[in-house]
Amino acid sequence: MRRRAEERVGAGGPRYPAWLSLPAIAWYVAFFVCPLAIMAVFSFSRREGFSDIVYDFNLENYKDLLDPLYGEVFTRTLGLAAVGTIATLVIGFPLAYYLARYAKHKTLLLLLVVVPFWTSILIRTYAWLIIFDPDFPVIGALDLLYTTKAVYIGVVYTYLPLMVLPLYAALERMDWSLVEAAEDLGDSPLRAFRRITLPLATPGIVAGSLLVFIPMMGEYLNPVLLGGDKTIYAGNLIGQQFLLSRDWPFGSAIAMVLILSMTVIVLVYARMTSREEALSG
Amino acid sequence: MGRRLIGGWAALVYVFLYAPILVVVVYAFNGGRQVLNWEGFSTKWFGEALSDPTITEPLKNSLVIGVSNALIACVLGTALALSMPRMHRWVRVPVDGLVYMTLVTPEIVFGISALIFFVQAGVGLGLKTILIAHVVFNASVVALIVRARFVGMGESLEEASYDLGAGPLSTFRQVTLPRLAPAILAGGLLAFTFSFDDFITSFFVSGAGTTTLPLRIFSSLRFGISPVVNATAVMILALTLAAVVIAYLVLRRTGSERRGGALPGV
Amino acid sequence: MIDPGWERQLTRRGVLAAGAATAFLAACGGSSDTSSEDKDDSADKTKAAAELGGTLHYYNWADYVNPETYKAFTAETGVKIKKDFFVSNEELQAKLQGGARGFDLACPTGYMVQILADAGLLEEIDWKQLPTVEKNLDTRFRKLPYDPQDKWSVPKDWGTTGFMYRSDLVKEKPTTWREFVDLAKGPYSGKVTVLDGIPECVGSMLVMLGHSFNSEDEGEIDEAKKELIDLKPHLLAITSTEYKQMLIAGKAVMSLGWNGDGAAVAAKKPAEYVVAEEGGEFWVDAYVIPTGAKNPTAAHAWIDYVYDPEHNSLETEYTYYGSPVKRDLLEPVMDKKVFANDDVFPPVDTLEKMEPNSVSPEGTKLRDRAWTEFKAA
Repeated sequence: MRRRAEERVGAGGPRYPAWLSLPAIAWYVAFFVCPLAIMAVFSFSRREGFSDIVYDFNLENYKDLLDPLYGEVFTRTLGLAAVGTIATLVIGFPLAYYLARYAKHKTLLLLLVVVPFWTSILIRTYAWLIIFDPDFPVIGALDLLYTTKAVYIGVVYTYLPLMVLPLYAALERMDWSLVEAAEDLGDSPLRAFRRITLPLATPGIVAGSLLVFIPMMGEYLNPVLLGGDKTIYAGNLIGQQFLLSRDWPFGSAIAMVLILSMTVIVLVYARMTSREEALSG
Repeated sequence: MGRRLIGGWAALVYVFLYAPILVVVVYAFNGGRQVLNWEGFSTKWFGEALSDPTITEPLKNSLVIGVSNALIACVLGTALALSMPRMHRWVRVPVDGLVYMTLVTPEIVFGISALIFFVQAGVGLGLKTILIAHVVFNASVVALIVRARFVGMGESLEEASYDLGAGPLSTFRQVTLPRLAPAILAGGLLAFTFSFDDFITSFFVSGAGTTTLPLRIFSSLRFGISPVVNATAVMILALTLAAVVIAYLVLRRTGSERRGGALPGV
Repeated sequence: MIDPGWERQLTRRGVLAAGAATAFLAACGGSSDTSSEDKDDSADKTKAAAELGGTLHYYNWADYVNPETYKAFTAETGVKIKKDFFVSNEELQAKLQGGARGFDLACPTGYMVQILADAGLLEEIDWKQLPTVEKNLDTRFRKLPYDPQDKWSVPKDWGTTGFMYRSDLVKEKPTTWREFVDLAKGPYSGKVTVLDGIPECVGSMLVMLGHSFNSEDEGEIDEAKKELIDLKPHLLAITSTEYKQMLIAGKAVMSLGWNGDGAAVAAKKPAEYVVAEEGGEFWVDAYVIPTGAKNPTAAHAWIDYVYDPEHNSLETEYTYYGSPVKRDLLEPVMDKKVFANDDVFPPVDTLEKMEPNSVSPEGTKLRDRAWTEFKAA
């Protein structure tokens, strides 16, 4: 098994020296690993006074997190991310497929997918504020403003382009004559899709799902603006400890738990899909 | 049949993507003070936004950060992507993990930890800290996109180049870069997008007065929806469209070179 | 049309001693002589004036300054103004504690002045640069309990936290917190907002339950938390900034909020602001100069500038919050309607039942957790 993995990596593109990675690694260590390490230390410290931090190693913050209330927030967050990911995949896959296989002006159409993503995330959320406004024609009457539904719609809208790009990147490399050949040879379109398209699209699906699932797990803005800041998700819970409750150690502990649980989910997901890939490939 | 169905679906998705933006655009030309109360066509809110230094200055900041971020991220990310496939397992796995970690980490967590870090390190908060923080995420974005292209590229041309005595640098310039350029450009565009779009990280690591456009818009959203924000949004959209046209032309040029070149099927 | 209650408060100190809020106001006593030692150097003043220029970086609540004042101040002094906004005192604290430096001027509420000063996040006020303030500041706003030596702050505005409703859309005329909550859970469910502020919401519920606004009893705070959690499904939004617009647009019909916003809504639509019969928060917002200010001279100049009665009237007419400038100086220059507005300058018997927010670290921590649970629910 291991040998096989090594071989596959060996086939992973042209040869370049490893030191090329040093600048990026230095940047990561200085500005990413260090900050998180400091935050990890914070999570074991204690708040005193109005917001002073006392560094005495203790697990109080983590114990406090065992309150079922916080479990509920995490479950709610997971639900948002899972439903949101599936929704963007379902909405985005046919689009990416169309772009890769049939579209004439691929680059133009692809960039049109990206354009909304270029406009400020706030403006896009703000646009939904206008649309959900009770005075807005038709949709306003649905009473969506400041509801959980509004948050879901906002989240799907926000991250859809992130799903389409990697899907397209994967599908674009496909040799469509293979699919056509399979179809000509009597495979049903569904079977051809499953046998040829899907395996080749899998890296795109994985990358796309990760790209949208991750920010959804830490989603902060949509619940604040479209949800009226009523229903909070893990990201809001953390932000609140820093912006409002001034309990930095507790906020750090929540952050650590969020990161760890997400890492676990991503690793399990990656492991599952890579095994599938290995099996099908 | 299937093709028409998928095409229809794709059209619907474009409607979904653009309808909200169209709404903002239409109402930006509303002369009335109330956003949803149509009082006739007017462009006065654009003038108002453009003469407001509290909008133009953040716009400049966002552009400076976005472009510098994209450039740095492209260099770091591409170099990383090139070096990774041939790394030793014991190096590659942790580096890979690190790249994914920068993407997995929720912005709110990273933003806050970066803030704590800059404060502890005594780095004054400002445009510089926003840029540093943005590059962390975006170097990874570029690395992933470039690598996705890179690993599927095949190695024979580079091997030939090495065999002919070229070093890594000239091999990169002459053989790899031309094929990788669209991916790097796409990564750079995405990196710019993320930076220009970023609110949460910037919110925490911005200093007094180093406001980016999203921060500025957020603070005005606290007053509710307003026609000036609408007008600003439309101008950003126009700017974005201009950038897209440029990117499209560049991609098309490299595309035709590719077709004309000796690299079919790439 | 002079508000009789306010006059009484001004002239009869016996009344002032009665309630908690008035005690807060009266805490300064009548000692206007204590600052006399600072009054003798006009040389410093001219020196300060000579240095005036550059940029004033003003960190403030949104929509809390008359836009005309910015322009007029820049025209008069040549100082340009850079603005940033916060939504809550706690956000301001978080930002300063997080190391944001370079703000020259900020306007936290009294209790936060104390917290920031204790944390070493403020520069001292130089009263020598504030001759207009010395002259015009109502002495009852000197040496307030949160800043007993007037060392760190100068009052900006004052007001109350109560609730407001659209009187054309809410017919029941609620006057108590209990009625507010019951109506919110009943006929107006889904059309009610509360402030995104911990002391305001938790404190108001405590008061409704018959406890002190500043209770530090875990059981009592728990009760208040339960009230808030029960209320939550009926809320349209939790916001400190947008509710004014929501009320004006009729999207919301009742809001827990501040008196100035209530008066601002009432100026546009039929609306009432209510100080609940059970009581509520009385607050003073104050100018402070955060540590690391680059242009404290300009900050002092701003404070002194707005203490001119005419300039201050413009502020009150815009924000609808009470002015700390001597009442008799305001009368000739302020819009008559605003000057006589009970929501802007509440009568003294209203203030008597109110309390300023002044909780200890322990009480704050309990409130913070209660708020987290309310938000998470």
